Amino acid sequence: MSKTTDSSKTAKSKRGAFPRKGFRIFGLGLQDFIRYFFGGNAALAIVMLVLICIFLAMEAVWFFPQHHHEYRIYRQAGQEYVDLIGAEIDAHTRLGSSVNIAYLAEVNESSKREDRLINALMQVETAVENRTERLTERLEDARELIEELPEEIEDAKDDAEELAELQADLIKAQKEEQEFAPQWRKAAAEALELPEVWDFGVNVVKLTDNEKETIKEAALMAEPGFETEHPFFAALSEESKQKKEVARERLVAFKAAVDELRGAASPMKTLHGELRTIAMENREVLDKFETAPARLEALLEGIEATKDPEERKRKEEMAAAVVIETPDYVALTKPIYESQSKHAELIVPFVETVKTGWEKLPEVNSLETKAGRAKMRTAVSDYENFLRSTEHATKAIPEWRHDRPMSKVKTVLAFFVGKEWVTNSSWHEFYGLLPLLSGSLCISVVAMVLAVPFSVAAAVYVNQLAWWREQNFIKPALEFIQAIPSVVLGFFGILVLGTALRNLSHIESLSWVPGFPMSERLNMLTAGILLAFMAVPTIFTLAEDALNNVPKAFTEASLALGASRLQTIFRVVMPTAVSGIIAAILLGFGRIIGETMVVLLVAGNKIQIPDFSAGIGVFTQPAHTMTGIIAQELGEVDKGSLHWRALFMVGMILFVISLSINFAAQRILKKLHQSY
Amino acid sequence: MNVTMSETQMDTLKPESELTSNARPVEAGDVVIEIDDVNFSYDGNKDVLRDVSMNIAPNEVTAFIGPSGCGKTTLLRCLNRMNDLIPGAGLTKGAIRILDTNIYDPAVDSIELRKHVGMVFQKYNPFPKSIYENVAYGLRIQGIRNKAMLDEVVRESLTAAGLWEEVKDRLDSSGLGLSGGQQQRLCIARTIAVQPKIILMDEPCSALDPISTARIEDLITQLKTQFTIVIVTHNMQQATRVSDKTAFFYLGELIEMADTTKIFSNPSMRQTEDYISGRFG
Ligand SMILES: Nc1ncnc2c1ncn2[C@@H]1O[C@H](COP(=O)(O)OP(=O)(O)O)[C@@H](O)[C@H]1O
Ligand SMILES: [Mg+2]
Repeated sequence: MSKTTDSSKTAKSKRGAFPRKGFRIFGLGLQDFIRYFFGGNAALAIVMLVLICIFLAMEAVWFFPQHHHEYRIYRQAGQEYVDLIGAEIDAHTRLGSSVNIAYLAEVNESSKREDRLINALMQVETAVENRTERLTERLEDARELIEELPEEIEDAKDDAEELAELQADLIKAQKEEQEFAPQWRKAAAEALELPEVWDFGVNVVKLTDNEKETIKEAALMAEPGFETEHPFFAALSEESKQKKEVARERLVAFKAAVDELRGAASPMKTLHGELRTIAMENREVLDKFETAPARLEALLEGIEATKDPEERKRKEEMAAAVVIETPDYVALTKPIYESQSKHAELIVPFVETVKTGWEKLPEVNSLETKAGRAKMRTAVSDYENFLRSTEHATKAIPEWRHDRPMSKVKTVLAFFVGKEWVTNSSWHEFYGLLPLLSGSLCISVVAMVLAVPFSVAAAVYVNQLAWWREQNFIKPALEFIQAIPSVVLGFFGILVLGTALRNLSHIESLSWVPGFPMSERLNMLTAGILLAFMAVPTIFTLAEDALNNVPKAFTEASLALGASRLQTIFRVVMPTAVSGIIAAILLGFGRIIGETMVVLLVAGNKIQIPDFSAGIGVFTQPAHTMTGIIAQELGEVDKGSLHWRALFMVGMILFVISLSINFAAQRILKKLHQSY
Repeated sequence: MNVTMSETQMDTLKPESELTSNARPVEAGDVVIEIDDVNFSYDGNKDVLRDVSMNIAPNEVTAFIGPSGCGKTTLLRCLNRMNDLIPGAGLTKGAIRILDTNIYDPAVDSIELRKHVGMVFQKYNPFPKSIYENVAYGLRIQGIRNKAMLDEVVRESLTAAGLWEEVKDRLDSSGLGLSGGQQQRLCIARTIAVQPKIILMDEPCSALDPISTARIEDLITQLKTQFTIVIVTHNMQQATRVSDKTAFFYLGELIEMADTTKIFSNPSMRQTEDYISGRFG
C-alpha cells in the first residue's frame, strides 16, 4: 500500500527520470489526439451504420400493422369477395387470349410469304422517304397543286386577275414537278443502293435477289403524290387476303371454338362489374370513416393555430361536419351477400361452356406454326389454372364473411409471397414481394452464371499462369471496370447491348435458342449481362487475392513432386483457395443484388413474376427489381403512407440479404485464415 | 511395382536413348550426379555460384555446408530445376548431368526430372489435405487411381518414413494437424512415395526440436540404402552424424569436398578449418 503511494509520488514529482516531452492539453499529448481522431472516425462510421439500421427498421416495422389494417377494410368493403370473381375472369381472359393468339398465328402462317414481302416493301419505302424527305415533300406539294388548280381555274373564269394568278401558280407547279420528279427518282434510286435501307433491324426479312429487284422497282413506282402501286404488290396483297380467307375457312371450327370459349364469360363479367362498383363505393365510405379521427385532429390543430375569427369559424364548421359514425357494415355488404346465389347460378354454365369450347380446340401438335403451338401449350396451363380458380371461387364464395377477422399471418404472407405489386390503385393496393424478389434473383442468376466462371478463370490465369507483363495489364484493366459509372453502363445497355441482342435474337438460324426471338429489348438477360460485367472486378480481385494467399510452399511442394503447372493449380492451389473464392463469389452476388441504376435502366421495369414455364427463355422477359422499385417509386410517395412503408420493407429485405451475404463471406474468410 | 514404373519414367527423362546403360543397377563407384564447372545467376549478371564441380555417388548422403548465403540452397535447387520458376535465373556456364543425362538439355522435361529427383523443404509443407492424400498425391498426378495400389504405396512410404505407427488410425485427418516433426516426416513419405532416385533436403531439421531432429537423422541414415541423398545443413554435428561426404561452400564457390570424417578431422583448406572450428559463419 505504502509502496504504491511512494511510486505515484515519484511519478508526479516534476522531473522524474523519464519526463514526457511535447505540449499537453488536459493531460493529453499529440499522440493521444491522433489516436482519438482516428478512433473517433471509426466510431462515427459504426454509429452511422447503427443509425441506418434503426432508421430502416423504424420506418419498415409499421408496415405490417398498416398493411393489415388495409386488408381488413378490403374485406369489410367486400372487395375481397369481388376479387374472387375477378380471379376467375382474369384466368378466363388469359386463356382466351392465348387460344386467340394461337389461332391468329395459324391464319397468318398461310400468307407468310406475301406478308413478308409487303412488309419489306413498306419498310423500304419508309426508309427511302426518310432519306429524300425534302424532295418528297416539295414534289408532293407540286403534284397536289397540279391536281387541284385546274378546278379552281374553272371556278375563277370570271375574275381575270385571280385567273392570271392561278394560271401562273399552275405553270410554276408544273415547272417544279418537272424539275423535282427526276431529282426524286435519282435520289430514291441512290437511296435504294444503300445497305442500311435494307437493314430491317428487328424485323429481319430475308430476300432473294429477285425479290429485292422487284421491291426496288415497286419502291421507285411509289412516287410521292401518286397513288400508284406496283401490280406485283397489288397482286401480293390480294393473294395475302385470299390465302387468309382460305385459312379462315379451313380453320372455321377453330375460330368458332375460340369464340365460344371467349364469349362464355359475359354474364359473369356483368355481375363482376356491378359488384365492383358497389364494393368500390363501400370502400370509400369505410376509408372516410377510418380516416375521420385523423382528419378531425388535423382540423382542430388548425383551429388552434388560426387567429382570424372568420377563418376560425369556417374551420370549426368543417370540424363539426366530420362525422365519426360507425358505418352499417351489414347494410353495405347486403348486395354482395345477395349475389352469392347469382354466382352459383352463373358459374356452372360458365365452366361448362369453356369446357365444351376447349374440347373443340385442335390438338397442340396438329398446329402448323411454332408460335401457334407455343401459345397453345401456354393455353393448356391457362386452362388448368382457370379450372382451379373457378373451383376455388365456388368453394370460397359461399363461405365468405365480411366480418371474419383478417388473419395476421395472412397479411404478413401477403407481403412475402404476394404475387402482385399494384400501387396508386383506386381499388386496393397490393404489396407483394415476389415479383420484385424473383426479378432480382433471376437477374442475379444470369449475372452470376456469366460472371463467376469468367472472373475465376481470369483470376487463375492472372495469378498462376500469366507473365508479369500480362498481369500488369490485365489486373488494372479489370479493376478499371469498377470505375465506370453504372449510369453509363445503363446507357450502353439501352442503346447498344439491348438492341444488338434483340437483333441477334431475330436471326432465324438462332431461333432454337430458348427465349429467342426476344420481344423486349430491355429484359433480364440484358441487365444480367451488364451486372455480370460489373461484378467481374469484385469477384476477380477477391478471388485473385485468395489465390495469392495460397502459400508458395504448397505450389513448390507440388511441382517438386513432378506435378505440372495445371495439375498444381487444380489439385493444390484451387482447393486451398476454395473458401476464399466462395467468399469472392458471395460478395460479387452482394454487389449484383444491390445494384440499382443498371437494372432500373435496362431490366424493362415490368412488375410481374417471370413466366417460368418458358424454361431458360424466362430470362428474356422484362422484370422489375427490389432496388429498382425503391429508386423509381420512393420519390413520388407520401411520407408515412402504406406505399412508403412498403418500399422501406423492400429496402429492409435487401439490407438483410446483403448483410447476411457479407456476414457469410466474412465467416468463410475467417475460417480460411485459421486453417493455415 | 514401383520399380517398373520408374523405369518407364526413365525413358521420358532421357532426351535420346542410351537406355541400356541406365537399365543396369547402380553400383558403387558410379556417379549419379555430375556437376560440371557450373556458374549460376539469378539475374543474368551476378553469378552466385562460380566454377562448381563435383560428383555425387549413389546411395550416399552428401552434406552441403557453409555460411549463410554461400549458395547451398541455390545449388540444391539446380539439381531438380526448381530455379526454373524464377524468371531470368539459370546456369550461365557448365552442365549438370543426372544419371548421365544433361538435365538442362532442352529436350528434358523438368516435370519428368522432378519425378526422379524429389525434394524436402526447409519448412515442412504438407498440403492442406488428409495424410493419405498427401502421400498419394505424387501418384495421383501420374494418373494412378487403383485404390489397392495407392493404399499399398501409402503404407510403405509412411512406414519407410517411420510415421506409419503414429498415423495409421487417422489417415483421413488433415496433414496439418500433426506435430512439426511428424509433418516433416510426412513430407519425406510424400517424396519417397514417387520412388525418386535422388532426394534433396534443404535444412530439413532447422524448424524442428532436438528430438524430432534426431528422428529425422535416423531416418536419413535408413533411407540412404534406397536413395541418393543430398542434404543442406547449417548444423555441423548433423553433417558428421548423417553424411558420408561433405562439401564446403564459401561465397558461391566449392572450397572442398571430401569424406565427412576427413573434412571434420583434417580439412585440407584453411577456410574449411576456420569454418568448422567456428571462427566465422
Ligand atoms: N530468388 C533469388 N533471387 C535472387 N537472388 C537470390 C535468390 N535466392 C537467393 N539469392 C541470392 O543467392 C545467394 C545464395 O543464396 P542461397 O543459395 O539461398 O544461400 P544459402 O542457402 O547457402 O544460405 C545469396 O546471395 C542470395 O541473396
Ligand atoms: Mg539456404
